Amino acid sequence: MGKTRSSFISKYSIYLVLVALFLVSWIANENFVTAENLRNISTQIAVGTILAFGQTILIISGMLDLSSGSVLALAGVLSVSTYVSTGSLLFSFIVAIVIGVICNIINGIVITKFKVPPFIATLSMQTMARGAALLYTKGQNIYQIGDYIIFGQGRILGVPTPVIFLIITLIVTWYLLKYTVFGRSIYAIGGNEEAANASGINVDKIKMKAFIINGILVGISGVLFMSRVNGGMPNGAIGYESKALASAVIGGTSFTGGVGTAFGTLAGAFIVGFLDNIMVMVGVDSYLQQVVRGAIIALAVSYDIWAKSRETKGKISSAEPK
Amino acid sequence: MKRSLALLLILALVTSLVVGCSKPADNKGEGEEAFRVAYIARAQADSFAAWLANAVMEEAEKYDNIELDVFDGQASDDTENSLIENAISNKYDAIIIQPNNGEAQRPYAEKAVEAGIVTITTNARIDNLEGASSVDADPYMQAKVNADLAVEQVPENGNVVVLKGPPGNFHADERYKCWEEEFFAKRPDVTIVGNEIANWNKDEAMDYMETWVQANDRIDAIISMNDNMAAGAIEVIKDNPAFENILAYGVDGTAEATLLIEEGLMTSTSLQSAYDLAEALLDTVNKLLTGEEEQIDIDIDCPLITKDNVQEYIEMHKKAGAIK
Repeated sequence: MGKTRSSFISKYSIYLVLVALFLVSWIANENFVTAENLRNISTQIAVGTILAFGQTILIISGMLDLSSGSVLALAGVLSVSTYVSTGSLLFSFIVAIVIGVICNIINGIVITKFKVPPFIATLSMQTMARGAALLYTKGQNIYQIGDYIIFGQGRILGVPTPVIFLIITLIVTWYLLKYTVFGRSIYAIGGNEEAANASGINVDKIKMKAFIINGILVGISGVLFMSRVNGGMPNGAIGYESKALASAVIGGTSFTGGVGTAFGTLAGAFIVGFLDNIMVMVGVDSYLQQVVRGAIIALAVSYDIWAKSRETKGKISSAEPK
Repeated sequence: MKRSLALLLILALVTSLVVGCSKPADNKGEGEEAFRVAYIARAQADSFAAWLANAVMEEAEKYDNIELDVFDGQASDDTENSLIENAISNKYDAIIIQPNNGEAQRPYAEKAVEAGIVTITTNARIDNLEGASSVDADPYMQAKVNADLAVEQVPENGNVVVLKGPPGNFHADERYKCWEEEFFAKRPDVTIVGNEIANWNKDEAMDYMETWVQANDRIDAIISMNDNMAAGAIEVIKDNPAFENILAYGVDGTAEATLLIEEGLMTSTSLQSAYDLAEALLDTVNKLLTGEEEQIDIDIDCPLITKDNVQEYIEMHKKAGAIK
């Protein structure tokens, strides 16, 4: 009984943190648990979380993407500008995806063919993509984007469109990670790249695939972001890559590779989302908010790691000969 | 080996392409040497700073005796300071500095003055910089024209929300100080139900406004330190009948704000015109370089924009191509 309880706690520790935060927030302010507020929080975290799914896939395979915020902006402004000149929602959506994928193919090539560490490769893409977005728009926002806003501000059966995209990308990421050869391969690569290679996995090909999927997710985020702010903003989403990295890591994705889940990342994103929301609701001083946010994130992750290490210890001791 | 050769070639190609394309050798002021002016922008990624840099470049076209180079401070004190040092050692005739943070650039601006270079600070000026000139708009006044209107308009015992710019930024701080002195001090009946730093950003302002709308049944006014954040808050409530009569104040007079004022969604803003700043800057630098004057310190106007006069400013943005 004790063992099952401890394994339950360790498996679901981050969700327990999420539930605890939810309950505390509920008590702190009656307006926290209203349909509209929960809808708002889900919409607010959607863009960052879709980026975070891409990060999760990359981090599991031992990489990361520092360029996602900038590529989002580049894909977003080109998409908006396409819509303004052609009036086609579908075409502008495709443009965003294509730009996201192209930038990530470049990331992938630089990493797999030229063996540049992902940190450096994606850092240089971060600068290039941001520069390209600014160059294209001359640093000016694009306004009067008309119906383009339905991507980020529409609702289907009362559910905001960004949340629908969030759910779809969640399911796809979860399925990819859990039920496909690709998913098993990236866990293997992140766990031990040489062993994965020796076991016949085409490591470079899988890494390229991971970046292409990341590119699609970044492209979708670009459309949602620009549509939500009702403008093409070349300086939009600065720092979103760290937001996305934080959600993934809080959700239990490990920088050592080979560990992480889509639902964990979603939980990580909601932890940050709930925290930001409740602090604004109860009117916590805006400087103090940053301190609290940082501290709670550190605490949540510490608890998660502690709960998991307790289980590992338990396993080792129970494996010992009696 | 082949791969590294290919890489080297690509590197060489890209570098020569960029360098080759960026330096058109059109010497203005045929025959005589043109004055070389370095314009050091705070950040080309900041939409107002970019607008100003573009306006300065356009304005410089009108002067045959001035050759202008624009540099990007990338919102970093360190980068901006290095750019000033480089411009000094490059022996520019004049340096125009749009500080990222006035105090951080002060010693470098002083170096430029010491080197005998015409030095101008702008948006925001570095105060009391001996030997330097300045062209600016007064951020306190920019907020004041709006605050004066709000003192009259915000209903008795009203609830308001406040959106602030990045702390430490001169314009963010001065505009907020003005709202405190010119509005909140005069209207003790008003309650601040939300007060957050949205860093000039529209998306951050949206997130805050969405939460405030949940936490408060009634919000009577949005007080924002710039138009971008005001536009973000308006985006949240524009289709919500419960907030139909909300007041919204900004600063800058961006294209988007003028459209919102025209639609009746925003109450007022004050114009910080990049065109006016650019015109004054080039006029100032020309007068200083030709020796017509020795020191100039001017502020451009900050006219209030409301529904009554918004068409005039929409026309201005249309001419510039910011509005169709």
